[in-house]
Amino acid sequence: MGNKKKVKTTCRMCGTLCGITAHIEDNKVVEIEGNPDHIFSKGRICIKGSSAATWLNLPDRIYKPLKKNIKGDFEEIELEQAMEEIAAKLLELQNKYGNNAIGFWKGEGIDFEQQEGLYRRLAHAVGTPNYFSNDTQCYASRHIAFYLVYGCWPLADYANANLIINWGTNAPISHSHWTQAINEGREKGAKLIIIDTRYTEIARQADIYVQIRPGTDGALAWGIIREMIKRNEIDHDFVDKFTVGYDKVVEYAKSFTPEYVAEITAISPAVIHQIVDEITKARPRLASWVGCGIEHQINGVNNIRAITMIDALAGATDRKGGMRTPMGFNLPDLTLYEKKPLLELDPIGAKRFPVIYEMRHECHTLMLMDQILSGKPYPFKGLVMSAANPVLTNANSGKVTKALSALDLFVVKDLFLTETARMADYVIPAASYLEREEMFFNGAMRAGFITGKYLDYGLQTEYEFVKELAERMGAGEYFPWKDDHELNEWILKPTGYTTEDLHTAPGGFIFGDNPTEKHYQKAASGEKMFDTPTGKVEFYSMYLEAKNIPGIDALPQYHPPYYLAQPDPEYPFLLSTGARKQKYFHGRYRNIPQLYKAEPNGHLEMHPDDAKALGLKNGDRVRVTSRIDSFDTIVQVMHEKEIFKGSMQHTHGFVNENVNNITYDDVYDPISGFPVFKSIQVKVEKIDK
Amino acid sequence: MKAVIIGNGAASLAAIRSFRKYDKKSSITVISKEGGNAYSRVLLPYVLRGKLSYEKLFLPFSDKLDSLGVTYIEDEVLSVDDAESVLKLGKHGDLFYDTLLIASGSKALWPPIKGICQPGIYHLWTINDLNRLQIEFSEKKEVVIIGSGFVSLQAAWAACSRGLKVTLIEIADRLMPLVLDVRGSGLMAEQMSKFGVNVYTSTITEEISKREDGKFFILLRDKENILADFIIVGAGVGANIDFLKDSAIEFARTIPVDNYMLTNVLNVFAAGDVAAGPSVFGDEHVTHALWPTAVEMGKIAGANMAGQNIRYDGSLNMNVTQMFDVTVASMGKFNDADIDDYYVYDAESGKGYCKLCYKDGLIVGICLVGTSEAVSLLGKLRPIIRNRLAVKLPPAKLDAFLNVRFFQK
Amino acid sequence: MKVITLDTSKCVGCRNCELACAFINSKETCERKFSMIRVNHYIEEHAVIPMTCLHCEDPWCMAVCPSGAITRDPETNAVIIQDEKCAGCKMCILACPYGNIHFDAELMVSHKCNLCEGNPRCVGHCISGALNFEEIEDFNERSRKKVDLEISKYMKQTCKTQEVDSNGK
Repeated sequence: MGNKKKVKTTCRMCGTLCGITAHIEDNKVVEIEGNPDHIFSKGRICIKGSSAATWLNLPDRIYKPLKKNIKGDFEEIELEQAMEEIAAKLLELQNKYGNNAIGFWKGEGIDFEQQEGLYRRLAHAVGTPNYFSNDTQCYASRHIAFYLVYGCWPLADYANANLIINWGTNAPISHSHWTQAINEGREKGAKLIIIDTRYTEIARQADIYVQIRPGTDGALAWGIIREMIKRNEIDHDFVDKFTVGYDKVVEYAKSFTPEYVAEITAISPAVIHQIVDEITKARPRLASWVGCGIEHQINGVNNIRAITMIDALAGATDRKGGMRTPMGFNLPDLTLYEKKPLLELDPIGAKRFPVIYEMRHECHTLMLMDQILSGKPYPFKGLVMSAANPVLTNANSGKVTKALSALDLFVVKDLFLTETARMADYVIPAASYLEREEMFFNGAMRAGFITGKYLDYGLQTEYEFVKELAERMGAGEYFPWKDDHELNEWILKPTGYTTEDLHTAPGGFIFGDNPTEKHYQKAASGEKMFDTPTGKVEFYSMYLEAKNIPGIDALPQYHPPYYLAQPDPEYPFLLSTGARKQKYFHGRYRNIPQLYKAEPNGHLEMHPDDAKALGLKNGDRVRVTSRIDSFDTIVQVMHEKEIFKGSMQHTHGFVNENVNNITYDDVYDPISGFPVFKSIQVKVEKIDK
Repeated sequence: MKAVIIGNGAASLAAIRSFRKYDKKSSITVISKEGGNAYSRVLLPYVLRGKLSYEKLFLPFSDKLDSLGVTYIEDEVLSVDDAESVLKLGKHGDLFYDTLLIASGSKALWPPIKGICQPGIYHLWTINDLNRLQIEFSEKKEVVIIGSGFVSLQAAWAACSRGLKVTLIEIADRLMPLVLDVRGSGLMAEQMSKFGVNVYTSTITEEISKREDGKFFILLRDKENILADFIIVGAGVGANIDFLKDSAIEFARTIPVDNYMLTNVLNVFAAGDVAAGPSVFGDEHVTHALWPTAVEMGKIAGANMAGQNIRYDGSLNMNVTQMFDVTVASMGKFNDADIDDYYVYDAESGKGYCKLCYKDGLIVGICLVGTSEAVSLLGKLRPIIRNRLAVKLPPAKLDAFLNVRFFQK
Repeated sequence: MKVITLDTSKCVGCRNCELACAFINSKETCERKFSMIRVNHYIEEHAVIPMTCLHCEDPWCMAVCPSGAITRDPETNAVIIQDEKCAGCKMCILACPYGNIHFDAELMVSHKCNLCEGNPRCVGHCISGALNFEEIEDFNERSRKKVDLEISKYMKQTCKTQEVDSNGK
């Protein structure tokens, strides 16, 4: 007793992955603080991070597998039994309906980096191509856009920038440590431009805040590009040597005069000039970032491509204070897409959305629900899900609930009985981020991070679960490593380092320098300069041209967002969702009492003029209806500057005010297949309390 | 140098601390008529109410007087020979001083009511009053409180909290005129009624007599008479300065002092309830008889006794307490006769009744019957009123201005 | 002695500091009313202002407290309120010119920042870098550097302008 230790590791309460120091007493975490040695979070963490000390010890945490009995109640069973039964059932479903009748879903709840690779590997190892994750709703659109243009996921070098532009992203809430980097840059003199339909936390420190009409960012980007071309503020050396399609850009940009753009975006020509003035002064030290505010529109990928083109045209690509490109670590790939692609088994969504499948190997979670319910084009009967909560976080919750209930086997692995886990046939207790060794890497910083098994409740790690399931399903050969530690050693081997090395610097183990302007060296040595089909930054994508799918443009043309393209007078307001609260991560953490007490409800955030027109005031209850369904919630009237008039915002993840009851699951960006979370047409009525 | 201080209340303790900051060597002698350790007069009602235990009355600082090189004499000052710089004490004979601070405080006064001076009728002003009232509170059921000043209402709240039946009699047409404006007084009276207190305003007490059963019979003019088990009287205070009679130190009801807390005699200072000093509003001689003013004055006096030359920028009256589940607070000028404009915060501000008062375009005061949160606004306004800063913003923006202002310095 | 410094040019009003402070004080909730640090956002003024006790050199709250409940912690230099001594008279709230003392309506005592016994959680939760717990000299040094940067930028600007002028002639 009284065994106390402090361990430095990584937080996994959200995807930001800040450095923490966990105070552990008698196999229990008692307090979590920031790790001052961490290379980017520098000792600072958000409330989610420290609240984990409560969360991980909550009395209703699951430590034993649960099986649903005939009455529909959960009963505790032994892990051995659970694994046996699950494996047997999965095999039975594969035998009866086909290998692809089952799938695996990696959630947003607990993973770092390997978990994704492991589930992808597991799916293909047992013969199904159906791997899912939330990436078909978030993140992958930007990945696609960045890769189409740059062939990589760049890093905005805020700390050294002269100008920082953020489009539809709110660092303080979603990527907390970027706030420090942005402020570091500002302290050295960088200007900050925030382009967002909402006056977010980060906008409060902006030099220029641009309140744009939702979904029209692409038009603004083209307006900026036109003006840069007109002023000849283009890095011609870079454009000539390292890009393709500039002539097409020049041609297409012509029509985007400030006046025309103003009409589309509600941003005055003067402000457009002001933005370009700042780019002119700052370039090439322009660090910009695009958030998921942009991706949830039918024109999401194209808008992001157009925005990232600005950086390249300004010469910011892989420059200090610009958009740094990462360097690889030469790590082995856990996935089996080359050895065992299984394309003949028709990965769900791959035909309809070939780009996201080819570029990200993501099966489509929204199409999955339709397929479970219709059995078309083939039956889908069994799903294993690790720490995801789609009942709250996927579009069209009603359909999700229906679909998941229709499965023959539904297994959820999580720390708690979430809304989704309650629907499962089996619930397997998951090990938290303090209970297993996992690694992740940051290519732009050339840093590696490792966690460790600092608490032990006898729970399976993600690797052990995957390995044991594979073994029972006859695919054990793919998982030869004894445990996650051995797996990690294998992964690190090509780098010449070991897990021990990584453990010497839990706040970020630096593998080496990441020099700037690598494309010049690569050009000189004949290496591929950018990881695109042409090896250049692609303003124009031959790959997309070859797809020949309506709405997929080789040049990222501007198309109006869905709500403007298909206005519906019955639903006069625009609802957008997806903006987070600092206390929560999507559907998670409402069960942490101190956080829930501080924010128990979701709110419909609206412009005061809209509130007035609807006869609403703060705290009123309203019913919000889209053509999908309705949900009831509470009004929050914002300041007139805080939200674009006519649009409203509602954060997701609240059980009692579940905005996803009404989000569309059938309107997509044609490139990424992303649902239009920021284009939901709604009507709002006051209801009695 | 020999410093002598008459009194050991708030002003005296503040003076000692301040004196020692500048002069570590000279002797300090404190003479106090009231025996025992220094205690906090403003806490008496809190102890009576049971909020604070008895021993918490005593200032922790007072038992450290020895270590600060303070000699403590329990005695009465009979007179001051300012020409020779000598005090005549009751038991200890003559005491010479180089520099003298008169901080002898004040005593509660008896109003001119027939029968007021008899056992069973109390003030709530000294620790002795408290001791005797504690017995009455635990043994008796009905109390009548005459007067509605700050202390009287706190006594009423204490009695009410402890389950006694309380009747309050005020000669004026409203409660606490020194603390609240007319509307605030009205709100307070309503609030007290909600707690079962019988409030009589515009009521003259003609005579108090004791019946054979031990009950007091209180004869009211033009109103039905009332009975009580005991009575608490709050009818203002008077300075303890009888010993100045034969000296050259100028005094009236209190002792006028200048911005340095100096009396008309060069080595004699006065501070606290006995002193009438300058106010922030430009009055030359004002006596507040308030704790914060005593602390401020004592601090200035102590420093200047130690040879400093620190100027007081004037007193600003302020009061605050929590009673009958509301926070009552005020500062500066808030009565209609003293102001030419005002702003009352709306319900959404979460302040309760809060009136911001202006005169000649400047904020001169504020009065509150509302929430504790609102008290911080008074705190933030203090430097604004003190320094007579013009705030050219709508009052609804004041909070923002006050917070932003700090960082613009 | 270390103090909490507040940089309004960095604060975004994310309120993680408030949430952390409320929890360390209440042990059970992150509700704002339990927080000793308060962040206010004034959109019209384009200002975000975090405020917490400055632990003044000559604290007026301490001088005015009639029950001697406010003292200075010799270890951390924090000005602290001892619950058990506080009468709940609110004199300190009235005294504080920055609005940094709050009232606990349940215990009926005043509450304020106590620097978490030398490990202020608000600072550890300040994801923007606006709050720092540092030696006052270090803060002054940083402030000086900031001013130097401004001056050098200004000088550069002026020199540039002069160059243009001379070329123009």
